Amino acid sequence: MAADSSRPDADAGTATEAADDRLLEVENLQTVFHTERETIRAVDGISFGIAEGETLGLVGESGSGKSVTARSIMGLVDSPGELLPDSSIRFDGRELTGLSEKQYERVRGGGVAMVFQDPLSTLNPVYTVGNQIEEALSLHRGLSGMDATEKAIELLEDVGIPDAARRVSEYPHEFSGGMRQRAVIAMALACDPDLLICDEPTTALDVTIQAQILELLAELQEEHGLAILFITHDMGVIAEVCDRVAVMYAGEVVEQAPVVELFENPRHPYTRGLLRSIPSTQRGADRLETIEGEVPTPNAPATDCRFAPRCPEAFDACREVHPEPVPVAAETADEGADHSAACLLYPENETRGQAVERHTSEGETTGAGAADSGGDAR
Amino acid sequence: MSVVDDEDATLRERLTDEPGPALRVFAVVAALVAVEFGALANLVMSLPWDAVGTALPGFVQGVAATLAGVGDALAGLPTLLSRSVIDNAGYQLPSGEWEGTFMGLSPAIAWAIRVVLIYAYGFVWLLVGWWSYLVYRDNYRHANWAPVDDMVGRFRNHSWGLFGLAIIFAFVVLAVFAPALGPTTVDANIADPYLHSIEFYNEETGSVEEMYVGDANGDSQSRGQGGENVGPLSYDQYDRFHPFGTLPSGKDLFTFMAAGARVSLFIGVASLALAGGAAVVFALATAYYKGLVDLGIVITSDSIQAMPQLLVIMLASFVLSGTWLANLYNGGVVLALLFGLTGWPGLWRAVRGPALQVSEREWIDAAKSFGQRPSVTMRKHMLPYVVGYLLIYASLTLGGVIIGVAGLSFLGLGINAPTPEWGRAVSAGQPYVATPSWHISLLPGILIVIVVTGFNALGDGIRDAIDPQSDVDTGQQDQSAAAGGGA
Repeated sequence: MAADSSRPDADAGTATEAADDRLLEVENLQTVFHTERETIRAVDGISFGIAEGETLGLVGESGSGKSVTARSIMGLVDSPGELLPDSSIRFDGRELTGLSEKQYERVRGGGVAMVFQDPLSTLNPVYTVGNQIEEALSLHRGLSGMDATEKAIELLEDVGIPDAARRVSEYPHEFSGGMRQRAVIAMALACDPDLLICDEPTTALDVTIQAQILELLAELQEEHGLAILFITHDMGVIAEVCDRVAVMYAGEVVEQAPVVELFENPRHPYTRGLLRSIPSTQRGADRLETIEGEVPTPNAPATDCRFAPRCPEAFDACREVHPEPVPVAAETADEGADHSAACLLYPENETRGQAVERHTSEGETTGAGAADSGGDAR
Repeated sequence: MSVVDDEDATLRERLTDEPGPALRVFAVVAALVAVEFGALANLVMSLPWDAVGTALPGFVQGVAATLAGVGDALAGLPTLLSRSVIDNAGYQLPSGEWEGTFMGLSPAIAWAIRVVLIYAYGFVWLLVGWWSYLVYRDNYRHANWAPVDDMVGRFRNHSWGLFGLAIIFAFVVLAVFAPALGPTTVDANIADPYLHSIEFYNEETGSVEEMYVGDANGDSQSRGQGGENVGPLSYDQYDRFHPFGTLPSGKDLFTFMAAGARVSLFIGVASLALAGGAAVVFALATAYYKGLVDLGIVITSDSIQAMPQLLVIMLASFVLSGTWLANLYNGGVVLALLFGLTGWPGLWRAVRGPALQVSEREWIDAAKSFGQRPSVTMRKHMLPYVVGYLLIYASLTLGGVIIGVAGLSFLGLGINAPTPEWGRAVSAGQPYVATPSWHISLLPGILIVIVVTGFNALGDGIRDAIDPQSDVDTGQQDQSAAAGGGA
């Protein structure tokens, strides 16, 4: 990842191969919420990218900034929230930050669509399911009347709703939870998006339905060539659907790797803790392992590792140096370059002193901009 | 249900494809219009064109004058339900025969026939409206089903709402057909009694004589104990029938009430259209944009509400009296404006809460997330949740406006005398409440209460009809059925 430049424009010129084939490129995204007492840095300088047809999992505890990331990409951050000026979200080569509300309306749905957590509240109870799908259809495909109804039935069939021709004229309350989520997905597909953001789409569903929905998403992804940003706190779901995973903690991405690599070789102590706290992976243990403490509320630019107070492997430098995302094994193989962690323990082939040095210097180059902009905002 | 195979057909294509039902509806409507064409033209001509005309540039005035000529000619056409066809004005000869009335019937019966016919005519319009909705639904509408079908269905089973509808129907017919419903007219009996005359049979001289209405009114006064009194459903000494009795001035109370209903309805509807429109637009804007927009409107509405509404209206109507605005519709327009401008904060407050609530729902985010325009999101995904509240509060407020206008008239403000207004009748009858002339205050008072109750009942019914969640029984049924079917 080219994390060494905070200027998106400069970066576009010297684009690495990543920027070319990536559909979505988020760089140094900082979303802050101004409250009366403090400024909460809900998303604090995260960077990731999603290639076409790829599924990126965004995982983390409650309050780690996952949903805010999603809403930032959708441009749905309402006052008192705000994206800091250094943030960059490029979709299909187009910078989204700073777009006017009018311009953003065209991006939403058409390019990026979103599936929300609670399928019941996503559907407006006073309109039939078909009506709501048709609304999106008329907006993005110019369909109306019978054409739209037919297309809506087709979409409902696509997402596996039986007897779609009858169901299309039913109200959301007549649908079961799983079917509602299918209908919501159909609504998102109606816009014909390139990127689908799923914000905990299975959290409100029971496990069997959850599996069905995940299967459905995989099918649809293959069919439509969708890129998916999958937000969840469930490592099991991540293992099921994702190609790559970004682990978030307190507004930052602490580790990013292909899914198999992450599960086999978790490097960041936080990721390890997360994986250890999945009940099924520790059969025979008396007690479920947990990570002690809770996610801090990031209300100032980080000067240390935010995970340090809860980290079993923390050492002195962790409280003084803010770790930057670095390849876990710097000078070695290619797959190492695709696996990054924001932890002073890495790169692991360097001595601890060298590593700390590297984090410090990288923090000065990228962090300088972040600190400035933080100052501007206040 | 549509017989058109091509489902893409526009409404126009559907109509040309199967014109039968639409033509039948059109024929009936045309027939209904035809029998009352003169009255319709009359109504158009009775609007305050002069006041509008003077504000327009010259050549438009010329056109307007031409139109006015045409309109006057049309207004002269005979109409089925006018007083000239079924006349109740006449005099009784000593033999007991009636002269001048419809088919020689007594004025009371002739008047009753006219009232029944007019209400029947209004009811036919109601039925035609319902019928044309059914024709549209079954023959020309795209969808086989729409949410409004359920709303109509729910309203039809809502007896309190139907009661309200019946009251409002009666009130609206009274207002719309006021000139034909009264036993006499505002012009002849109330506004210019000395420009009109009546014929009566003078028993002393044994001949038919003519006299000014004003003079006749002087002998038909209702002045309570010891004085003269013409009570409800009685004749005065000139054989004029007074369904509601007479005012202390001897003028006919029913004619007064019917004309007053028109004024009340106009002010109520016009001021509520203004206040309700502003309230909804502001509520949706505050809920959608929040922040500064919200703050600005909160401050504005608070400032308006900090002033006592009735006093402001009294002051403003006093200040505006004498301007051209105050003369529009005898002061009705200025009252409608004032009630509208001072009334929206209350309505806005009532709907702002629900609007804010619904703006936080996830389907608003969902609509935003697929790129819906703010105006459409507000209209489609927020408005339906607000309209129910608006209608409820609007109907309450409408009652309030009617009471407010009556109150102003009671105090001698508001609608310019001698234009009838209910409150003035209540005021005029006040000294005679405990006398045989009780009807002067009581009948208008009761009507005000009934009409206000009717508006509340109608609002209640509409609220329950619009809100699918109010239909608890069927909702639960559907849910259990869906759960069973979806498993």
